[in-house]
Amino acid sequence: MTAVLSVSGLHAGYGPSIVLRDVSFEVSPGEVACLMGRNGAGKTTLLRALMGVLPKTGRVQLDGRDITDWKGHRINTAGMVWVPQEDAVFPGLTVREHLFIAFGRRRGDAGLAAAAKLFPILGERLDQEAQTLSGGERKMLGIAQALIVHPKLVLMDEPTEGVAPLIVEQLVPAIRVLTESAAVLLVEQNVDTALALGSHAYVLEHGTIVESGDIRRLHADGVLERRLAL
Amino acid sequence: MSVVAAGSFLPIDSFNVVVLIAVFTLIALGLHFTFGLLNVVNLAHGEFLLIGAYTAFQVQETTGNVVLGILLAPVVAAIVAILMERGILRSLYDRPLDSLLATFGLAVIIRQTVQLIYSANPRSVHDAIGGSFALAGFNVPWWRLVVVIATVGLVALVSAILARTDFGLHARATVRNPALAETMGINVGVVRAALFALGSAIAGLAGALLAPINTLDPQFGLLFLVNSFLVVILGGQGSLRGLVVAAVVLGGSLSLLQFVISTVYAQIIVLVIAILGVRLRPVLAERIAAYRERRSSARGSGPGSAGKALTAEAPRHG
Repeated sequence: MTAVLSVSGLHAGYGPSIVLRDVSFEVSPGEVACLMGRNGAGKTTLLRALMGVLPKTGRVQLDGRDITDWKGHRINTAGMVWVPQEDAVFPGLTVREHLFIAFGRRRGDAGLAAAAKLFPILGERLDQEAQTLSGGERKMLGIAQALIVHPKLVLMDEPTEGVAPLIVEQLVPAIRVLTESAAVLLVEQNVDTALALGSHAYVLEHGTIVESGDIRRLHADGVLERRLAL
Repeated sequence: MSVVAAGSFLPIDSFNVVVLIAVFTLIALGLHFTFGLLNVVNLAHGEFLLIGAYTAFQVQETTGNVVLGILLAPVVAAIVAILMERGILRSLYDRPLDSLLATFGLAVIIRQTVQLIYSANPRSVHDAIGGSFALAGFNVPWWRLVVVIATVGLVALVSAILARTDFGLHARATVRNPALAETMGINVGVVRAALFALGSAIAGLAGALLAPINTLDPQFGLLFLVNSFLVVILGGQGSLRGLVVAAVVLGGSLSLLQFVISTVYAQIIVLVIAILGVRLRPVLAERIAAYRERRSSARGSGPGSAGKALTAEAPRHG
């Protein structure tokens, strides 16, 4: 079966500073692959490089198509969407407008209904500026934006980080809904959340993948705990 | 100096005040896109008015139809703008000093090219609708009424485009966070080019509309450049509502002052008003925000208040 995402020999960084070195991995259809690693390992940099925000070398394929040199908007349109870690809202734009950006105005009502069904609190806040939402609500908005466009692959950056347990309880089922129709590359530092959602894990250290395999086996062997210094 | 016209029940020619407010709005409306939204210190803005005015003049000379010239003016300005944006400016959005220098250079090139083609001699564009009508004891040229109506229509159109269309939404997202907009499926390059072209097209139309009430020569655009920047800066970069308020304050002040003092002194006072306005705007904005906050707190329905208890966050780590 063709991998939804296939990355080989990826190098990326910020200007002259190379952060990712020779990164290669795959995400299969329907799979939730967890990208794990300590702070500064290069997890967010990897997602930014995949979305075309950072320049990169190597080869990235989405559903068999080479997207290495594509710009972000084209990657998004091809079915790979990104739920960034934080502050992923446009100042001055309402929740409704954020959902319209993802879904378009013409089909907007269906998108609004889907988002409100997933997170009723967003349905109550459609005309509120997204910038004034709490951090947890902003994460809900990011997930809702990803869900309503029916992507092939979602890059999700620490959706539960810094969020109260009560909100995590709402986010995790929503991410499960997302995984029913899309593959997910999930950056997650919380092992419990990763175990609850993921099937495969890649551990990143100093910009290189140092471990990969079934997430439960890596957990059972103590690899995750050792690598993440838990 | 008497400021009361014979037979008038108003102390001054009120319509002239309205016309000058409309002119201030019209000349700044295109800059709202290129400088206000795209953040390009577009020193070539006046030259897009120039291109529009000379397009109207050329078509008038060639076909005798000035209305056709006015309709073609925004098209010609938009074509020049797209060439300029795609050729030079698109790589300079994150380099404000370089874009300032580039637009200054392009302004000089456009102005000199116009002078080479048409010479420095003053030209005139005829009113498409001549004559005048009486209003409150004053004679009002029909063309000035057209300028006012066109300005109101353009402001409404721009407002509708930005607020109610996908393009407007993408434009607002792009100017606020281009990197995020790109990853959300918005073609930032195309949106920026379209915004630059739209702003320049409006400037071109403004030039064509204002040509019949001004002397047309290669310095035509420079007449409007400073005032258009004053309006956009005083109104708050990126705020259409602020732009209209600033045009009312500056255009209204200038026209009223011109009734009692010379134009030179009036322009100096208007500049002082603009400087004071820019200085005081943050304080005013803060007070308005505080007032709104107090009002929404009193109503118990402030932004996000309903969900705060549900969404209290744990402190961030790492």
